[in-house]
Amino acid sequence: MFQTILSRIGWFLLLLLLQVLVFNHIHIMGYATPMPYVYFLLILPSNTPRWLYVLLGFLLGVLIDIFGNTPGMAAATMTAIGLITPLLFNLFGPRDQDKDDNILPSMRTMERWPFVRYLLTAVFLQCVIFFSIESFSFFNWTFLLINIAGSTVLTTLFCIALELIRKRP
Amino acid sequence: MKTFLDFLRKYNFFFLFLLLEAVSFILLFRFNSYQGSVWYTAANNTAATVNKLYYEAMSYLNLGDVNGRLTHQNTLLTQENAYLRARLGELSHQPTPTELNVRQTLANYKLLDAVVVSNSTKKTNNYIVIDKGSSDGVRPEMGVVGGGGVVGIVYLTGPHYSLVIPVTNRKSSISCRVRGLGFFGYLQWSGEKLLHAYVNDIPRYAKIKKGSIVETSGYSAVFPPGIFIGRVNSVGNSPDGQSYRLDITLGTDFATLRNVCVVMTPYQAEIDTLKAHAAEQDTHDALNGLERIQ
Repeated sequence: MFQTILSRIGWFLLLLLLQVLVFNHIHIMGYATPMPYVYFLLILPSNTPRWLYVLLGFLLGVLIDIFGNTPGMAAATMTAIGLITPLLFNLFGPRDQDKDDNILPSMRTMERWPFVRYLLTAVFLQCVIFFSIESFSFFNWTFLLINIAGSTVLTTLFCIALELIRKRP
Repeated sequence: MKTFLDFLRKYNFFFLFLLLEAVSFILLFRFNSYQGSVWYTAANNTAATVNKLYYEAMSYLNLGDVNGRLTHQNTLLTQENAYLRARLGELSHQPTPTELNVRQTLANYKLLDAVVVSNSTKKTNNYIVIDKGSSDGVRPEMGVVGGGGVVGIVYLTGPHYSLVIPVTNRKSSISCRVRGLGFFGYLQWSGEKLLHAYVNDIPRYAKIKKGSIVETSGYSAVFPPGIFIGRVNSVGNSPDGQSYRLDITLGTDFATLRNVCVVMTPYQAEIDTLKAHAAEQDTHDALNGLERIQ
């Protein structure tokens, strides 16, 4: 249990630092910015209470906001993703399991494609919410769509990379 | 009531969500336009530290570029420094009495200040290079004077530099005379000591004392009459024994020569010489006339 908490804190800090120090400075063509911190919520054990999803999402979002100077944006996004993630897991996760079973979502436990769909949906929602809040209008909607599409692709790629690295040991 | 509490308990995450969403949007609306909150500033100290670390790391990657720019700038500043130093040296230069005298003599002439950039004193035929050339109006055959008197004559000019044949060159031959007496001869460098020169062809009957002043005669168009050259050190026989030869100590110290002036009015010297001759002629005629009257 303690070890699990430690590893979660490790993931939390790792993704936070990666975002603040590396990914926040990537703007491919001025559009796509990878935001793979959502990965932290996606790989939480399935029996995590839902309020903890929401709270952890909010905390991670606030910290990223503070470092990235985007007050409230990532916090609002991640709170929403924290609410949605358990639903998505129910949607894409293995059906034949008991509800009380503790599953750590990954490519191994969920099969490859369900996990990728789970990931893609969550990342897409994250990007939609984040960039909608950022622009806060649909006036420049082509720009917004390119932003969302580019960032979704980039974030998904980085999350898959993280997943592949995590799977190895 | 119980069902309501159960409802609350069951969907506590949703209320937490609403609460945190509200907080997020408060943050969003509050700090996107106004970031001066105490909490936010305090939190941002940490953020600033982390961001500073990031930019410090990034600055290492730019060091090559920065270094190149600094080297370039350094070169420019060094050049500027050297130039300003040279200017300062020129400006803080204190004029000697001889220089004032020379300046006074040359008051009606256009003088061009120049700096000696290359100078030799150890050879038999020494040359001086000054930093003014044909683009500044310097032409061959112009006279060059310094703080100690006559320096030499411009021999060749380039666009920005000129070659001067100084008195300390065996080819140099400047017309000169003894001040107050009018005996004239040609100045020749001895070739042995730097400040030692001869004036040949002084007639035997001339009574010249040690310490007399030798100045330019004005018999050429190069120098106006009356510019200090040096003082008589001793009077000796010329090699052929027909006349005296004056040993002169030159007024210009060629070893430390730095600031010179080019006499820029080439024909003025000629004109002044003619005027001087005319005046002499006048007094001569007047004296003759007086004698005739008497």
